[in-house]
Amino acid sequence: MSKELIRLKDVTMTFDDVTVLKDINIYFNDKEFLTLLGPSGCGKTTMLRIIGGFQTPTTGDVFFDGERINDVPPYRRQVNTVFQKYALFPHLNVYENVAFGLRIPRETTYENGKTEKVKLSRDEIDSRVREMLEVVSLKGFERRSIASLSGGQQQRVAIARALVNRPKVLLLDEPLGALDMRLRKDMQQELKRIQQQMGITFINVTHDQEEALAMSDTVVVMNEGVIQQIGTPEDIYNEPKNAFVADFIGESNIVDGIMRADRVVEIFNRRFACLDGGFEKDEPVDVVIRPEDVDIVSEAEGQLRGTVTSVTFKGVHYDTIVDFYGFKWLIQTTDYCPVGSRIGIRIDPDGFHVMKKSKYSGLYGDYSSYSEEYDEINDPTLLDVEEEGAGDEE
Amino acid sequence: MKKNRFGSRFLIGLCFLFLYLPIFLLIFFSFNKGDSSAVWKGFSLRWYAELFRNRLVLESLATTLLVSLLATAIATVAGTFAAIGIYSLTKKWRDPVLVVNDLPMMNADIVTGVSLLLLFVAFFRGWGAIAAWLNSWQSLIQFPTRLTLGLGTLLIAHVSFNIPYVILNVAPRLRQMDANLVEAAQDLGCTWIQAFFKVILPEIKPGIVSGALIAFTMSVDDFVISYFTAGSATQTLSMTIYSMTKKRVTPVVNAVSTLIFLAVLILLIINNIREARQDKLAAKRASFEPVRVDPRAERFRAWLGTPRGKLARRVAAAALCVVFVSTTVFLTAFTTSRPVVNVCSWGEYIDEDLIDEFEAETGIRVNYQTAESNEALYSLLSNGGADYDVVVPSDYMISQLIEEGRLEELDYSQIPNFEKIDDRFKNLPYDPENKYTVPYTWGTVGIIYNETMVDEEIDSWAALYDSKYAGQVLLINNSRDAFGIALKYLGYSVNTTDAGEITQAYELVRDAYERGVFQGKVMDEVFQTMEGGNAAFATYYAGDYLSMLENNEDLRFVVPKEGSNWFVDAMCVLKDAPNYDNAMKWINFIASTDSNLRNMDYIWYASPNKEALEMYPEWYEEQYGEALDPEIYEIMAAPQEVLDRCEMYVCLPKATRALYNDLWIKLGL
Amino acid sequence: MRNKRAWFAFPYVIWMALFVVIPILIMLVYSLTAEVETASGTAFEGSVENFTGMTLYMNVFGRSFWLALVATVICLLIGYPVAYLMSREGPGFQRVAMALIMLPMWMNFLLRTYSWMAILENNGLLNQLFQKLGVISLYNRLTGSDIDHFQMIRTSGAVVLGMVYNYLPFMILPIYTVLTKLDHRLTEAAEDLGANAAAVFRRVTLPLSVSGIISGVTMVFVPSVSTFAISRLLGGGTQMMLGDLIENQFLGGAYNPHLGAAISMVMMVIVVICMLVMNHFGDGEEEAVML
Repeated sequence: MSKELIRLKDVTMTFDDVTVLKDINIYFNDKEFLTLLGPSGCGKTTMLRIIGGFQTPTTGDVFFDGERINDVPPYRRQVNTVFQKYALFPHLNVYENVAFGLRIPRETTYENGKTEKVKLSRDEIDSRVREMLEVVSLKGFERRSIASLSGGQQQRVAIARALVNRPKVLLLDEPLGALDMRLRKDMQQELKRIQQQMGITFINVTHDQEEALAMSDTVVVMNEGVIQQIGTPEDIYNEPKNAFVADFIGESNIVDGIMRADRVVEIFNRRFACLDGGFEKDEPVDVVIRPEDVDIVSEAEGQLRGTVTSVTFKGVHYDTIVDFYGFKWLIQTTDYCPVGSRIGIRIDPDGFHVMKKSKYSGLYGDYSSYSEEYDEINDPTLLDVEEEGAGDEE
Repeated sequence: MKKNRFGSRFLIGLCFLFLYLPIFLLIFFSFNKGDSSAVWKGFSLRWYAELFRNRLVLESLATTLLVSLLATAIATVAGTFAAIGIYSLTKKWRDPVLVVNDLPMMNADIVTGVSLLLLFVAFFRGWGAIAAWLNSWQSLIQFPTRLTLGLGTLLIAHVSFNIPYVILNVAPRLRQMDANLVEAAQDLGCTWIQAFFKVILPEIKPGIVSGALIAFTMSVDDFVISYFTAGSATQTLSMTIYSMTKKRVTPVVNAVSTLIFLAVLILLIINNIREARQDKLAAKRASFEPVRVDPRAERFRAWLGTPRGKLARRVAAAALCVVFVSTTVFLTAFTTSRPVVNVCSWGEYIDEDLIDEFEAETGIRVNYQTAESNEALYSLLSNGGADYDVVVPSDYMISQLIEEGRLEELDYSQIPNFEKIDDRFKNLPYDPENKYTVPYTWGTVGIIYNETMVDEEIDSWAALYDSKYAGQVLLINNSRDAFGIALKYLGYSVNTTDAGEITQAYELVRDAYERGVFQGKVMDEVFQTMEGGNAAFATYYAGDYLSMLENNEDLRFVVPKEGSNWFVDAMCVLKDAPNYDNAMKWINFIASTDSNLRNMDYIWYASPNKEALEMYPEWYEEQYGEALDPEIYEIMAAPQEVLDRCEMYVCLPKATRALYNDLWIKLGL
Repeated sequence: MRNKRAWFAFPYVIWMALFVVIPILIMLVYSLTAEVETASGTAFEGSVENFTGMTLYMNVFGRSFWLALVATVICLLIGYPVAYLMSREGPGFQRVAMALIMLPMWMNFLLRTYSWMAILENNGLLNQLFQKLGVISLYNRLTGSDIDHFQMIRTSGAVVLGMVYNYLPFMILPIYTVLTKLDHRLTEAAEDLGANAAAVFRRVTLPLSVSGIISGVTMVFVPSVSTFAISRLLGGGTQMMLGDLIENQFLGGAYNPHLGAAISMVMMVIVVICMLVMNHFGDGEEEAVML
């Protein structure tokens, strides 16, 4: 079993009275690929920066290998970062960017307690840089200037530059955000491969749930400075803890329900068999039904009956919106049902996932105003801030 | 990072202290009761009051503002179009144009100024023929055959060095601009012109504004280029101050600068507050707090959108234009009203009330300029840039100018006051038949020393070369006088042409120079230095000594026993003077007994007007209610036995002049 | 469409030719000729004497370039740290500081320099201060000398001070501009890669601000080397500089525009060469790091 490497204990972070992180307690294991996932402004980047040493938590402690490192500056941490938009040095070429960290003399403590600044030899630097460029498939690009590289290539340089220092942890701040769709998919594979090859911890920050699910060993879902759920991608998807997680990860229909007994849930005044238990009798709950877990049947056969209000062809399946008693569900199915037709649906017991009520209850899971980019549009923070920043210059 | 804030601010503060210490001093002394920039005599606002009566300062301020405003306006428009044009050029063409564009900024100001001066002079030389030819075949427009440096050339120079700054500020905006913007605008139905005004202009506006601001700042602050291109008849504030710094800066200039400084300071503060407020708003928006908008501001903005508001906006813009144009017109009128007489004299060499009186009496505007020395005046004239009517050179320079045919004969029938000139000062060697000159002043050169810094009787030039006074002697910064004194000390004539004798004099000065006797070489800077007790000895003119005495009672003057130089400065008229008749009126006015009395009283130089010279002690008593110290009168109007010891300079032959020049340069190296 | 707009550049190209290029050519002509007397007045005659005779002024060249160099180095040593510290302050502080640096330009530079005269004179404020503080008597006791003031004005030091004082803002501004535009993430990236504050500065901040330094150095060095007002006011005629020499040939006592033009040409060429070398050096530096 892999051991614990980093731990954040009771970490709170406030900027000018705005609390960005609230009582965070989390640990990261060695050699795992972990993703911090959440919408912009949820505090995930701040958390990354605290681990990287660029910010000191307002209260709480950070431990690395059991040692408190709150006051250790970034350049003494065995952690390296791949920055958003890469932050490559424009005055250096590819080779020198990668060699940057190696050229800096490091303080080494010997067994007898003596410390000394050690400078790597030219040959060692050279071999390590070349090795690393090979890992990121950039052999032959040594002399190229940064400006002449494509986004994907710059990304690889940034990764190589960080990894060449042999950190114990690599932090990635939205590493794929600036790449186009196709490249992003490739790089997901690539990152996973590199992580396995290097055998170190990757902590990745993203707001793209698909990316999180595809790459990670562990996913940490965050919102409003609070960790909502930690788990494997499967856990997170199948067993969301609350309405926020359910909605943020994949598509979900979330409806109010009442737990009538163990394994019996009531929605729309109708009782269904489910697999969940451990609730109090008649406890109000949130019930998640993933769109792909709903089967469309004839009206007569259905457990519930509704009217199709819109159909969108998605290639593999149709996104069908169905109105059940004023509540709109998203159903993904390969069957085509014309708009206006009456249909019935069936849901197997494993199609239900019952959650305790939370502050997010009632906020998500209704597709009345369904649109494809719903999530993105709902995410205005980043855009605004960036526009401000790009404003004036002399 | 936060821990070091204090240390960092302390260092920045030190830097600002260094930058602002002299400025605070300037402001401080603008409130001085006395006229010194070093000695505090109590608080007073008199210099602010005097500012509005000081013509020289006001006129040069007007010229500065006029030229800066016009140059900025022209350069901003021209630079903006040029930037758009350059940006649209293909790379092959763009690069060389940009290199040449950088040239004026890379080049030292003095090179820019000098090269423009040469261009203008060359053009003016050729212009005479072109104008004559143009006038010969058409009579619609009479082209002036003689052009001189002035407002026009100054403006051209300023526009030239301003345009690159505008381009430099606009170009980055153009580069940032999305290339498709104009096409998008045209796609949406704009004509090219509309696209320019609706899309390009707003996009590059910040660049234009900052370019204009920098251009204006550069224009106002410029001295070197103006100095070379403004010629004689136009003076910017910088030039006025420069000629003053050589003598004594009147605190009026401190007052002007303080006012300008305060105006800019207030503008900056307002701007700062505005920006800070905008920043705060932006920060609030970023943090999603509800933005509280001032309801009045909001209503005002809404009102601006209404038809009436739009009208108001247009009216305001029109009003601004009118203000700008009328300021320009007013300033132009103020600086170029006619008729005029152009006079070039020395610094603080006239009672300025006389100028006002003459103007009131005759309606002729006096354009009163000053030169630094006879040699400098000669350079100005040789450049062809000078547009003087009346000049007041010294004896030896007059004979040189006559020799070179640069002077016009005077019409003595128009100068009845010539009668009153003492016969002693008529038909002197420099103008034996007295056809060209009317004497202005006369006097002697001697040693000025500070009694408190010397403990022996001074009666010989020897003191100037004595190691005992190392670092305490001011050498006169003029080869003729510096070597002339040495010649006198060695027992030779000041007019010797013997190279051996002159070289000997040079050796004497050189030796003292090497021994560190001289603190520096000064001309009019002598006033400030001697008055402040910053040197023990100087060589200068008797009249100027008396001026210094008013500010420092420890100063003494002596014409050494070895003898010295005595001089006459006389008014002459230049050949082809554009305002010959006005010049005659001016000369006659100045030669009158009343003018001579008042001049004498003001500048302490002896008058050649017999009546005035004799009347002066009596007149003084009448004016001030106390008797004139006879010793002072004797220093001012040296008695004959002193004059007998002295020699007047004559024009030296060219070879000797060249020798003087070479030796003088060698001394300075 | 682009070509149409390109015509906008045309008037300016002509203007530049008239008022930038031709004047320099005229200067070149002047520098290569001398005035000779002929029967019909004076005429120009080809001559290289202006250049050959210039050896006489080698001292002035040496002094000008030396003093300007010293002033530039001092400006850099003061200006860089100030610009650097300023760029790390909050936006409010930066705005005020910028305004404060620009503001003195609105006070005439001759007046500001003149004000230094009052400070530096033998009897001036600084010497008075030294006297009051007992610095001068202390100095006398330590060295056994007997002075009642320090000679500050009319020395080369005063001239350098005048240059530093007048041109320091021109050093601070471009460096400050470059430093504020510097991407903060780059320094963070360097820290992340193991560089401490000193290494971040040496390996990232400094190389990325070279362009600011170069323009700062240009903006200080060029006016310093050619000044004539500062050396006149604070050097008291004892510190003749190239600017004085040139001014003297055109508007001063030693009227000889041909020599003046020649000196200007030589100065211009030397300055341009200096700048080219420096620019190249700047680039070369970058290449060296890249290897």
